[in-house]
Amino acid sequence: MAEAHPRWVFARTTAFRVTLLHLLLTLAGTSLVGGVAWWSTAGFAARQAAQEIERGMGVLLQSGAMSGPRGIALSIEARLAADRSGVEFYLLAAPDGQRIAGNLSGVPQGPGWHEGTARLAEGAEAPVMMLATPLPGGGALVVGRDLSAVRALEQRLLSGAMWVGGAVLLLGLAGGLLIGRGVAKRAAAMEAALAAVQAGALDRRLAVGSGGDEFDRLAARINATLDRLQSLMAALREVTDDIAHDLRTPLTRLRQRLDTAAQAPTPAAIAAAQGEADALLDIFAALLRIAQVESGTQRAGFTRVDLSAIAESVAEVYAPAAEERGQTLATDIAPGVTLTGDPALLTQMLANLVENAVRHGREAGRVALAVTGEGVTVTDDGPGIPQAERERVFRRFHRLDAARSTPGSGLGLALVRAVAELHGMSVMLEDASPGLRVRVWLHGEPGIRAN
Amino acid sequence: MPSARGDPLRILLVEDDAETAAYVARGLEEAGHVVDRAADGQDGLFLATGGGHEVMVVDRMLPRLDGLSMVRAARAAGIMTPVIFLTARAGVGDRVEGLEAGADDYLAKPFAFAELLARINALARRPPLQQEVTVLRVADLEMDLIRRSVTRAGKRIDLQPREFRLLEYLMRREGQVVTRTMLLEGVWDFHFDPRTSVVETHISRLRGKVDKGFERELIHTVRGAGYVIRADG
Repeated sequence: MAEAHPRWVFARTTAFRVTLLHLLLTLAGTSLVGGVAWWSTAGFAARQAAQEIERGMGVLLQSGAMSGPRGIALSIEARLAADRSGVEFYLLAAPDGQRIAGNLSGVPQGPGWHEGTARLAEGAEAPVMMLATPLPGGGALVVGRDLSAVRALEQRLLSGAMWVGGAVLLLGLAGGLLIGRGVAKRAAAMEAALAAVQAGALDRRLAVGSGGDEFDRLAARINATLDRLQSLMAALREVTDDIAHDLRTPLTRLRQRLDTAAQAPTPAAIAAAQGEADALLDIFAALLRIAQVESGTQRAGFTRVDLSAIAESVAEVYAPAAEERGQTLATDIAPGVTLTGDPALLTQMLANLVENAVRHGREAGRVALAVTGEGVTVTDDGPGIPQAERERVFRRFHRLDAARSTPGSGLGLALVRAVAELHGMSVMLEDASPGLRVRVWLHGEPGIRAN
Repeated sequence: MPSARGDPLRILLVEDDAETAAYVARGLEEAGHVVDRAADGQDGLFLATGGGHEVMVVDRMLPRLDGLSMVRAARAAGIMTPVIFLTARAGVGDRVEGLEAGADDYLAKPFAFAELLARINALARRPPLQQEVTVLRVADLEMDLIRRSVTRAGKRIDLQPREFRLLEYLMRREGQVVTRTMLLEGVWDFHFDPRTSVVETHISRLRGKVDKGFERELIHTVRGAGYVIRADG
């Protein structure tokens, strides 16, 4: 049913409604023009006839007042003789209804205006407009005019209006259909593309014309939204896949250790199983923390943080660890670098960076931690990270193949990036040749400041 | 009056998860303490107002009255018993919120029982703040907090500032087990668990300065729990 032919659903479309409304308005306009034309032609002729009747009636009544019915009869005779076109009609009737003078055959029912077909004295009929007035001494006077010419004009106007109205109706409908079909077709194409996306073809996009009209702009906006949704879904799927995949390994190990403990429940076997469970819990804690940081809710608790002091403290914590590997932990920390942020998260971010550098740096090598007004730099002289891998190491659970054999969850850099982004900073990995340089810096935004 | 070392403590445990509550209560009782249990915030508050507890262990998420509100109400009622919050949420903001509500310590689930026990002991035996000491002594080890100097058997020991703080933290809790996380939080302000064994390396360096060359070791490792400084064996 969703694929019904456009013709069947056309009546429900906006295009149809717009067409209909447009058509009605056009018809109303045409009717208005027709009405004015009518009023100023046929209407004008009828009004003119009525005026002439009234004038004639006035003159005849005046002669009646001066010379009685005899005067009226004489005037009627004179007028009829002068009317060469034969459009004037008169009747002077006696109180008993008998015709005294005039060319009409009988008095219409009652006084006042009458319109219709009148019988003439010589037997013919004509379309007329008449005014009948009762006379003071009994009897009646009727004055009329032939309306044949007016009726003919009316007829022509009416048929003209029919033709014009019909043409307007036809043209309007055709135009509306044409426009509506175009709109409906584009809307249907968009709908079909979106239906395909809904059905799972996430890479389907709407066609964007070169016209740049509202449909093109709408299609471009929808495409951008779809791009965003697709990348978000891809990221989500990746995370879910990663979690499912990377938790299977420690869970399998836990299972194996529990099997071992079940056969020989020695304290060491149980402790090993507990260790695996703890490692799993740590991974979950790290995942939750990353998710929490990425949600941005922590911003509510931001305070002024002394980044220099945190860096000093982190360097001090890791100095013995570096020394155990024979490394020098060199610091170059400008005093008084502050920013607005979360001290605990910034501490963890710096700790993760220094920890990575100490772990992956060359034995008996050098690890450097520098803090300036621009940000933080941590440099080691280890194997570094190949260019192609540099973006991927920020993903959850991503670990370089070389690091697979050493312990670690692969969540450290993901957290570093989440914390940096929470604070409006960006993280860049560079080649220190040899080794890796991690730069956490602010792009000119206010917030980090060296005093 | 805090009880002396080894004396049983009366502990109020407010926890709605029956299994966790039973596990914690059994552990505390095995350690020689007396445990009162409540399964929701209102019962917890009722028992707390009865007084007589040295420490309260309160879960954050409780039915009827949540832990945060329960502790706020208890503090408002003038009950100053030290409180440890237990929480399944390990967020940084949650910890601050808990401390602001009047809790004294904060422990994220899941936790090792040894961790909880060490923190309960630390809270219950915390010396009153007004009695500010200027010299700490453990056997022949002496720390002058004013001159910031340390001597052992009269011989001067040079410590870096953070080593001094680490030793001070241990000496202020003489005879009490101090866990790795307590040290991370208390000495370095690290509210997370680093993968590298930083605490172990710092302790071993401190031992090198404090215990090396002396017949009797003062800093001891407690397996599965942490460290303790004490004079006797």
